[in-house]
Amino acid sequence: MTTTARFSGGSRRGPVWDWARIRRVLRKSQFHFGVAVIVPTLIWYFVFMFHPIFQAFRIAMVDYKILDPQNSPFIGLGNYQKLLLNPLFLVSIKNTFTWTLYIFLFMLPISMLIATTLSNVRRLRNLYQAVIFIPVVVSLVAVSLLFRMVMDPEVGQLNRMLDFLGIPPFKWMSSTRSALAAISGIAVWKSMGFYIVLLTAGMLNISEEVIDASRVDGANEWQRFWRVTIPLLSHTIILVVVLLTVGSLQEFTLPYVMTEGGPGTATYLYNLLIYEEAFTHIRFGTATVAALFQFVFILIASLIQIRVLRPNWSY
Amino acid sequence: MTGPAPALKPAPHITAPWRNLRQGILHVFLGFMALVALFPFVWMVFASFKPFKELVQSKALLPINWTTENYTEILTRVNFEVAVANSIYSAVTVTVITLLTSSALGFIFAKYRFWGKEYLFILLLSTMMVPFAVVLVPLYITIGDLNLVNKLWGFIITGLWSTFGVFLMRQFMEVIPYEYLDAARIDGASEWRIFFTIIIPLSTSPMAALGIFAFLANWDSFLWPLVVLNTPDKQTLPLLLAGLRSIYWARYDMWSAGSVMTTVPIILVYAFASKYFIRGMALTGIKG
Repeated sequence: MTTTARFSGGSRRGPVWDWARIRRVLRKSQFHFGVAVIVPTLIWYFVFMFHPIFQAFRIAMVDYKILDPQNSPFIGLGNYQKLLLNPLFLVSIKNTFTWTLYIFLFMLPISMLIATTLSNVRRLRNLYQAVIFIPVVVSLVAVSLLFRMVMDPEVGQLNRMLDFLGIPPFKWMSSTRSALAAISGIAVWKSMGFYIVLLTAGMLNISEEVIDASRVDGANEWQRFWRVTIPLLSHTIILVVVLLTVGSLQEFTLPYVMTEGGPGTATYLYNLLIYEEAFTHIRFGTATVAALFQFVFILIASLIQIRVLRPNWSY
Repeated sequence: MTGPAPALKPAPHITAPWRNLRQGILHVFLGFMALVALFPFVWMVFASFKPFKELVQSKALLPINWTTENYTEILTRVNFEVAVANSIYSAVTVTVITLLTSSALGFIFAKYRFWGKEYLFILLLSTMMVPFAVVLVPLYITIGDLNLVNKLWGFIITGLWSTFGVFLMRQFMEVIPYEYLDAARIDGASEWRIFFTIIIPLSTSPMAALGIFAFLANWDSFLWPLVVLNTPDKQTLPLLLAGLRSIYWARYDMWSAGSVMTTVPIILVYAFASKYFIRGMALTGIKG
């Protein structure tokens, strides 16, 4: 460590304006490299991150005029009021919560089950994992088109299979009652592989001593799963839960491509509202207000989840 | 990193036939799930070779009358090649530059000491908490001010730095011993040289993971291209595919041909490199 101090030159005591020292630093290759990397980074982050974030707070409080942005009148909380009065606001919130609930209900049990199976199977594990992972790597829009074909109520393959099994045809995305659940099923199918890989890696990381110890203590498989695997997996589970929440609350592509929010408003999710406010109705202010609400909500939700799920022990 | 870990040792009190039966059940279940993951693609590939009438009427998986009409029609009607070129150009550019910026910043944050380093790192990391929707409108305005609306670079430029990538690279580079760097510095190597000949070769596995991650995220990116790219000559593949819905309403033969041409190349690359994909994802999960 001492050598580092000598070479990277930051830690020696002395007068602040020691010109000899400053000149020495300025001549160093580290300094040139550092400046060459940090300066463009700061410019990029300022232009494409920090400035837009600050702008968002300003846009949220003005009646943004596209053609003459400098003279957009300040309307304070007017955009908030407009958003709250939009009937689609509450509809989209309700839909998004239902959507998130569906994703959790489908995703967690299925991916836990598959991950447990994968970590117990002795042969072909990598092959199974590789195949189950395929939907993760392909384009989401292609998947949307694919399932619109497969789930077509009249000519779709899925209803034909049900027909073959003697089950009456199902309306999938054409019915307001099943559309949201059907699309969330596709979302689970598409990204399941990713969570399975995380969970399997976590499960295989659990040391065999702990598993053996639980065997010696006479725990059966069920007890071992709940009392050993789940607690030791808590870091991975926190990650999965937070990623699922953050991702589901921001879902856009699937409902946009599959149903455009329909039928009616059955699959009108929150990000569709933001997108349509901004780029269909050109109401930049209300769109940004909606996005700020989402920001605050996601922040609070993730903090609570991490608080609640974090184990209060270590081993 | 996470090599093929040994399967859990069988419990001693479970006898061999039981064990085989248990393993058998696991294989049946996993085989079924693998089929669920794979079958829609298989169906799609065969569907793309069926004439429209057959596609909507026949129950058979395999086409009766094989045809390549769907492909010829879609290639002549929409700018498919242009969209492929745009997608490849933007995804490759973003991936290469993201790898460079992330590893250089990862190196600096892991190995340099300067005033305010930790604050700067936290400042950059804090941007990860902001949902994309917050910057959607302001970023669009910025891109407009920069005169990049409906230009491929309007899409590319917002992806050149990746906060997640910086975080990931720093995590890995922290374990590189200082001795390597100091030895090189004493020998008179410049920092650029150290970066390219020591740091990068030592970080290939996180870089492979990040590269795959960045490429897929960009290849699949939809919302932002939808906002900045408007005309057919600028569209990326996902935009073109989504556009098929209105150009060819319910023409499932066209849809399947377009989807096959988008997904099959990726699946083929994946077939040869699945190990790296999965290892990369597991890696990002464990470290992130």
